[in-house]
Amino acid sequence: MLTIRGIRKTFNPGTVNEVRALQGVDLTIEPGSFVIVLGMNGSGKSTLLNAVAGSFFVDEGTLTLAGHDVTKWPEHKRAKLIGRVFQNPFSGTAPTMSIAENFALASKRGHARGLGWALAPNLMKPLRDRIASLKMGLEDRLDNAIGSLSGGQRQALTLLMATWLKPELLLLDEHTAALDPKSADQVIQLSDEVIQRDKLTTLMVTHSMQQAVSLGDRIIMMNRGRVLHDIRGAEKKRLRPEDLIDRFEEVRRRELLDESAAAMLNELYI
Amino acid sequence: MTLLIGALIIGLILALLALGVLVSFRIFSMPDITTDGSITLGASIAAVLLVQGVNPVLATLAGALGGAAAGATTGILHTQFKINSLLSGILVMTALYSVNLHVMGRSNVPLMQATTLASFGEKLGEWLVGSKTIHILGWPVASADAAVLVLALGFTAAAGAAMFVFFRTQLGTAMRATGDNPQMIRALGSNVERNIILGLALSNGFVALSGALLAQYQGFADAQMGIGMVVWGLASVIIGEALTGTRSLGLTIVGTIMGSVLFRLLVAIALRWGLNPNDLKLITALFVFAALVLPGFIEKLKRRAPTAT
Repeated sequence: MLTIRGIRKTFNPGTVNEVRALQGVDLTIEPGSFVIVLGMNGSGKSTLLNAVAGSFFVDEGTLTLAGHDVTKWPEHKRAKLIGRVFQNPFSGTAPTMSIAENFALASKRGHARGLGWALAPNLMKPLRDRIASLKMGLEDRLDNAIGSLSGGQRQALTLLMATWLKPELLLLDEHTAALDPKSADQVIQLSDEVIQRDKLTTLMVTHSMQQAVSLGDRIIMMNRGRVLHDIRGAEKKRLRPEDLIDRFEEVRRRELLDESAAAMLNELYI
Repeated sequence: MTLLIGALIIGLILALLALGVLVSFRIFSMPDITTDGSITLGASIAAVLLVQGVNPVLATLAGALGGAAAGATTGILHTQFKINSLLSGILVMTALYSVNLHVMGRSNVPLMQATTLASFGEKLGEWLVGSKTIHILGWPVASADAAVLVLALGFTAAAGAAMFVFFRTQLGTAMRATGDNPQMIRALGSNVERNIILGLALSNGFVALSGALLAQYQGFADAQMGIGMVVWGLASVIIGEALTGTRSLGLTIVGTIMGSVLFRLLVAIALRWGLNPNDLKLITALFVFAALVLPGFIEKLKRRAPTAT
């Protein structure tokens, strides 16, 4: 489904702000698999998602999605294949437009937008039903500006919008990190439901060990722009949060060692 | 009475300019000074064609298309060459000054003898009424003026309705979302750059349409006529928002048209009372400044009030 071959990305190359965000990532994701991406801040997990979504072009390597080489596709063209939910609840919806209009936009993801009426009558009935199934009482507020809703409600709606047309790949970028615990639980439950029901191929970035062990069928742990661990199958099923924390500890210790080694070398030779 | 009708007609014609500014300033959050050049471009293209005897409808349409091309140029400078939006507008506006002089061949084209939409309307009015004057609410009014007013009202209402319908289509909603949240609409597969170019073309098309009609009504096109017009449009938009609020797109469009007419009326009254015409631009700019700053200032005062008591 998604094949990532040797992608590299350096931001601000040749300046003091140079960041080698991706340093050669290889990954193959099978159709229907639900992959959790873990890693510390700056490990490159969000950059990986953005590289797949096309927020920027990679310096090296190729990306193949659903049989298309999308390496050189601009972001809006890749959107035909990709549904996306951002970390910031404000990013995924147009605040001054109504709930119905936001969904009208989502219902045309990847399709030509013509001079047909945006709020097509045949969209409204399924839309009302689907939003009613959220049990948030939003089905009677379809004409309200989406900006008047809470972060949790907006994130739930963004998820429905991203999956309104079944995407080849769903990208969830810490989409519950900015929510209160209760809303986060609701959105996670909804995400799992939608992913299971539609058998969506999913890449989900998270900081929560609990989410990482309870969701998905594979965990990718990233560090310094590379894939460090790839846990799948029976091993993923057995995994407990403590095991993950141990692995993080291990990474941390190695990082510290690297730093102290670098400091020692500095003192000795410079 | 003639003064009032004249003010109403110009207010309605400039409402098209205000609608254009509404698109760039409110929908795309991009104050676009191309407006100052494209209103003159619309006027000069229409005037030159009319002098050559081209059908007024075609001449007006050609003027509007010229403005749309100017707007698209600004959009291309901004999105493809990554030039700051304000600077893109300034560049195109400056270039248009020369373009307009070339189009007209001199700095002023009079339309005294040409058949224009205005002269057509005047003749239509006299023919329909059958006499030179008509009594409205007991006031004698030149039937020619009354006909032009009705035509202007119909034309502006139709243009406003067309804009409303367009922004409710799939393409139009995507363009509104571009101004509201570009990241979101890009993730939903719409080309943000193309939307901005289209939006500025639409905006300046309306502005140039306004210029083409204005030239025909006042009977000339002039290289200087565009100076400060974007601020004029902003003032109309802001008055409109005060009149109808911004709850819905339809109300905003109606408000903008009303705002333009009201503003023109106020200006006509002020001029009548002896306001120096040279001060007009200064007062317009001060008005827009006050309208932009006052709401925040009043908000601050309100928030401070409870602690004071």
